[in-house]
Amino acid sequence: MAEKKRYAFVIDPARCIDCRACLVACRAEWNTPAGQTRIWVHSDGPQGVFPNLSQTFIPAQCHHCEDPWCVDACPTGATFKREDGLVLIDEEACIGCGLCVNACPYQARFRNTVTGKADKCSACFHRVEAGEMPACVATCIGGARLFGDLNDPESTVSRAIAGRAVYRPITNEVNTQPMTLYLSSPAAAAVQVSPQPREPVPAETFWHTVALPVVKAAVALAFGGQALAFIFQLFKGENEYEEA
Amino acid sequence: MSHEKLTLEEREALRQQTLVKHYTANILTHWFNVAMWLFLLPTGLGILLGKIYPFVPEAWNNLMNQIFGGLAPLIHWHSIFGQVWFFVLIFNVLFGFRKYFIPFAAQRMFMDRDDWKWLMIRPFQMFGFKKNQELPPQDAYNGGQKLYSYLVVVGTVGIGVTGLILTYSEAIPTSLQWIIQWAMPLHFLAVGTTFAGVIIHVYMGAIMPEERQAFFSMFTGKVNGLYAYLHHRKWYERKMAEKAAWEDFYNRQLEAVGVETPAEGGLEAPPAPEPAGGD
Repeated sequence: MAEKKRYAFVIDPARCIDCRACLVACRAEWNTPAGQTRIWVHSDGPQGVFPNLSQTFIPAQCHHCEDPWCVDACPTGATFKREDGLVLIDEEACIGCGLCVNACPYQARFRNTVTGKADKCSACFHRVEAGEMPACVATCIGGARLFGDLNDPESTVSRAIAGRAVYRPITNEVNTQPMTLYLSSPAAAAVQVSPQPREPVPAETFWHTVALPVVKAAVALAFGGQALAFIFQLFKGENEYEEA
Repeated sequence: MSHEKLTLEEREALRQQTLVKHYTANILTHWFNVAMWLFLLPTGLGILLGKIYPFVPEAWNNLMNQIFGGLAPLIHWHSIFGQVWFFVLIFNVLFGFRKYFIPFAAQRMFMDRDDWKWLMIRPFQMFGFKKNQELPPQDAYNGGQKLYSYLVVVGTVGIGVTGLILTYSEAIPTSLQWIIQWAMPLHFLAVGTTFAGVIIHVYMGAIMPEERQAFFSMFTGKVNGLYAYLHHRKWYERKMAEKAAWEDFYNRQLEAVGVETPAEGGLEAPPAPEPAGGD
């Protein structure tokens, strides 16, 4: 029996020239509204002193984390993680509340201005299921973006990371076990892809501090009170001649 | 229940009387509401998911998903039924505004001193306390029912408005998505607190032997005079006065056309009392 797939992106910033063909391919594939994008190429800006200048470009997208906070934050279950590791959105079940957008420490999600639903990189799952690469990976001429099954030792990603130091964009505060592995010095990548701790929105705080405790207490009190009254009624019995 | 002493003959005579407690429109609305709650509550709980919103076991979510063929159809049908529920209730209130809603609000919802006194005694009596305390006379609805009616009205409006926001959330711009975020806990809070009231309502209306008349009145619309006298004295007395006035008026009309009746009086009798919402 074939081993379960474990999809991951492998990014090599050293191979990225910021041509942004990946962004074009992604937009063409998903028809993302103008002004919004599912993937990015970050930059830490020019480094050094003229004439010894350098600049690093860091491709990024949803990391399809192993411990995705967006899935935990979704109140309807529209955001879910598949067994193969891909974190996807059931658009029909999404109510566009934006809690997942707020929950993602990588700001990899956005609310689509046309559909009103949460949107993000889906690793072009329809292409992957058809044996193809995600659009951004397929179009990357420098080979900076790679995608594949880490459980397959012959996959592109497994071969790319073999013997190489890999970096996951995590911090002491935030570790969602992102499934994007950077072939780069941590310092360079951390500049742009370092996650931010999550701050709940006021409505979530209200949920936890008011709505949930009040409902639990009200239902428990009502049910408990009626159960007690019913037991009392059973002990008291009924008088058939006293009924109204 | 009142501790008023009645002779056996008086009790029997009261039992033979029939009073209309609910009109057909009220009864249909009530059972429509029940049917919708029976659908919307389990499906709504099936939608509520995520580690941050733990309220029902995941098995319930899975069961609902299997019944409806997935999460999206579950949400779809919950929304459809929710809108039918809310719009039918709005329709009923708007089209029955003068005939049912105004009389209902005016005659069955206002709390008076007797209602508060009732609330200070009756809940204790259910657990065997304050057994010898006399309950103050109550109107068509007792203090508990009046309080519950406020919960139902506020809860229904809250559930309906937040439900509509969630149903049409995609039309809300991102700059206003906080409205959607607030609609979720408020929807849950409105449903949860109303449901807590429903638990008490169902027990007191359907299970308590002393309220059996009230339970069956939600099918027949009628209660007998003894129940009305013992549980809703003010309402009973008002109904009797209305009935006497109407009978008097009717007899005067008969006399006007030359039919002999036992009643006395002239032609300038008061008009018959306007029937009020289930009153």
